[in-house]
Amino acid sequence: MVDQKEGLSTAESLRKTRSYGQVRCHNPSCMGRLQPQAGVNQVKCPACGMEYRVAWIKSGFPRIRGPVWDVNQRLAEEAFERKMKEERKDGPK
Amino acid sequence: MALNRKIAYIDLSTGKIEIRPIPIDVRRKFLGGRGLDAYLLYNHTKKGCDPLGPDNTLMVSGGILTATLASATARTHVMAKSPLGGLLGSCNMGGFFAPELAWAGFHHLVIKGKAEKPVYLWIHNGKIEIRDARGLWGKTTTETQWAIREELADEDIKSLVIGQAGENKVRIANVMTGIKNSGGRTGMGAVMGSKNLKAIAARGTMDIKIAYPKEALDYNKRFIDQITSAKVNQTQGALGTPFIWGATNSWGGVRCRNFQYNQELYCDEIEPEALDEVCAETMGPYHMAGCFGCQVHCRAKYKIPTGPYAGVYDEGPEYTSQGAFCGEPDCRSIETLLTGNHLVDQWGMDNLETGSLISWAMELYELGILTKKETDGLELTFSNDEALLEMTRRIAFREGWLGNALAEGGIIASEMIGKNSFDYLIQVKGVSNLHSDERATPALALNIATASRGSDHLRSRPAIDLYHLPVEVMRKIYSNPVPYDGPLSSEHTEYIGKPWQVFWHENCYMAVDCLGICKYHTVFLGATLPNFEDWTKVLRYNTGLEFTPREIWDIAERCNMIERLFNLREGLQREDLKKGDMLNHRYFDEPCRRGAPDVVGRVIDREKFKKMVDELYEYKGLDKNGIPKPETLKRLSLENEPAHLV
Ligand code: SF4
Ligand SMILES: [Zn+2]
Repeated sequence: MVDQKEGLSTAESLRKTRSYGQVRCHNPSCMGRLQPQAGVNQVKCPACGMEYRVAWIKSGFPRIRGPVWDVNQRLAEEAFERKMKEERKDGPK
Repeated sequence: MALNRKIAYIDLSTGKIEIRPIPIDVRRKFLGGRGLDAYLLYNHTKKGCDPLGPDNTLMVSGGILTATLASATARTHVMAKSPLGGLLGSCNMGGFFAPELAWAGFHHLVIKGKAEKPVYLWIHNGKIEIRDARGLWGKTTTETQWAIREELADEDIKSLVIGQAGENKVRIANVMTGIKNSGGRTGMGAVMGSKNLKAIAARGTMDIKIAYPKEALDYNKRFIDQITSAKVNQTQGALGTPFIWGATNSWGGVRCRNFQYNQELYCDEIEPEALDEVCAETMGPYHMAGCFGCQVHCRAKYKIPTGPYAGVYDEGPEYTSQGAFCGEPDCRSIETLLTGNHLVDQWGMDNLETGSLISWAMELYELGILTKKETDGLELTFSNDEALLEMTRRIAFREGWLGNALAEGGIIASEMIGKNSFDYLIQVKGVSNLHSDERATPALALNIATASRGSDHLRSRPAIDLYHLPVEVMRKIYSNPVPYDGPLSSEHTEYIGKPWQVFWHENCYMAVDCLGICKYHTVFLGATLPNFEDWTKVLRYNTGLEFTPREIWDIAERCNMIERLFNLREGLQREDLKKGDMLNHRYFDEPCRRGAPDVVGRVIDREKFKKMVDELYEYKGLDKNGIPKPETLKRLSLENEPAHLV
């Protein structure tokens, strides 16, 4: 038996949620949507300060190529130090 | 038609071959592929058998949709008892072998016993021959495939082969087809080697009748459009799976220096775009290839640009090779990455296990647990590219004390090395973890701890949990085809709602493996990709079989339970560090030191982890010890197993 008219499946109906042109900040608590300007090769998350190198799969389709190492490494070290101090004070989280 | 493909039972000890149909009620219970293989394994393998002895049974299969008009039905599945953990062994690879096997008349092979001398199977248009493979023994995986084509004078033959590692019964040996399609996990190459089975060659021209060809083609167009329009698949098609390693490394979700760090710093030389440049330089702009019937084309082709193997052709590398030859041992050379990828492909070893075990040994060397005595003088330090490639060779050929020890896999090697070496081994059920670090992602930690074939991301990983999807979108996905109104959380650092996601993906991935299609065509890396509902249509148009989405879910649940029953029979116990649903203590005790600010400092909370396992067991119908309740077996019609239906 073949259905003559097939409606949209759940997966197909979710297609409209795709966000072309945007990338997400890689910081789990942030995950802010970033929309790099056409052709740029770096982007900074306005919410958490992490910075990323950007590559373009094709025009209008950016992706995060990797961290701006010096910036994000410094943010990580500061966060680690702060958390370890808090843990020493309050016990493990 | 697709449903008239057969099962062949091949006894290598006696040379007896029996060919039988697959009854339709067996299809309705297990579909095919991995699900039916699990049933065959449970029924045809003796409890407690030696995985490298003649009593182990090796299954090779395609899915129920293999070689139909459905998209990307490329996957070949191989299953046996694993020589690594002594539990379920299972691996899955792309390429062209399973479709060729289907055109030759077969969907499942059940291989028992052990041949007296090296042999290979030649399967063509309904016939199976056992042929002398003494001339193939000692050849690499690529040499073997070409030698078979020459011997049988047919360049279209597709073969499933082992390399020297499989011959040497290296427990991390893989099964290969083509130049890079690797059934890597759980040592299935060693099982083939233990049976003196060098290869299985297939060539077929038998038609596969499609139930509703016009509708199947029309629907497939829609299916392909859904798949190729997804951002994730467009990225895969441009950069292959290295893009996943790159993104994961960026936030701090990969393993580095065994398990000391969760990010490899300043590794720009091996980023996906850098790899892409090398591929483009050596192979030209059109350097992406695909498996049978796939439109994503995620396999890069390259030539090694420099070094002793300069100019040599290979394909990949995948995420796992980046982890194995860069992230874990903390090496940063593209030459090492491409060379290492090539060597494991040729000798036939799991790249993932190779890199993990060597990185573990590097940490042990750093700690003084291993010394130059065990390494036979090799300076086995992190970031030592030469030592990494040399140790890879020694494992494949079981050379030197440590090469031979690591060839036994992590658990036996830890017993040989002694001291507290086991504490540093990052494994579950004897299988090394993917090169990912799950301390910041409880859902992913639950997945690797409870996966049926040991630590593994392709059994139940809710990878889309990393996308911070709105709860309404998650609800749409996760309350189908079985209603779910429990909690869900967009935060991937949370514990809430994760057991249900793991349960959902476990059933989703099992269904995909029964159908025989690629996981990049379902809700693995992309939230908007096809799943249960969509498969009812693909199944109907191609095979004529009618299923509801819920029925496909039930079949998947049944097949997962069969795998569970096998593992329990072979000794699985919930909190056993070697054979259980448990993680290495470092997940709970050592905080992440690198990555995004919200990742550093994280560990898995032991109590919350236990609760997640409890909850997952409840969904699966298991008791607190992980044993199925009688009513669960009844619900899944498994109360009379083993029943030898096939
Ligand atoms: S997506 Fe990649 S692995 Fe999957 S079938 Fe296509 S080419 Fe093969
Ligand atoms: Zn941010």
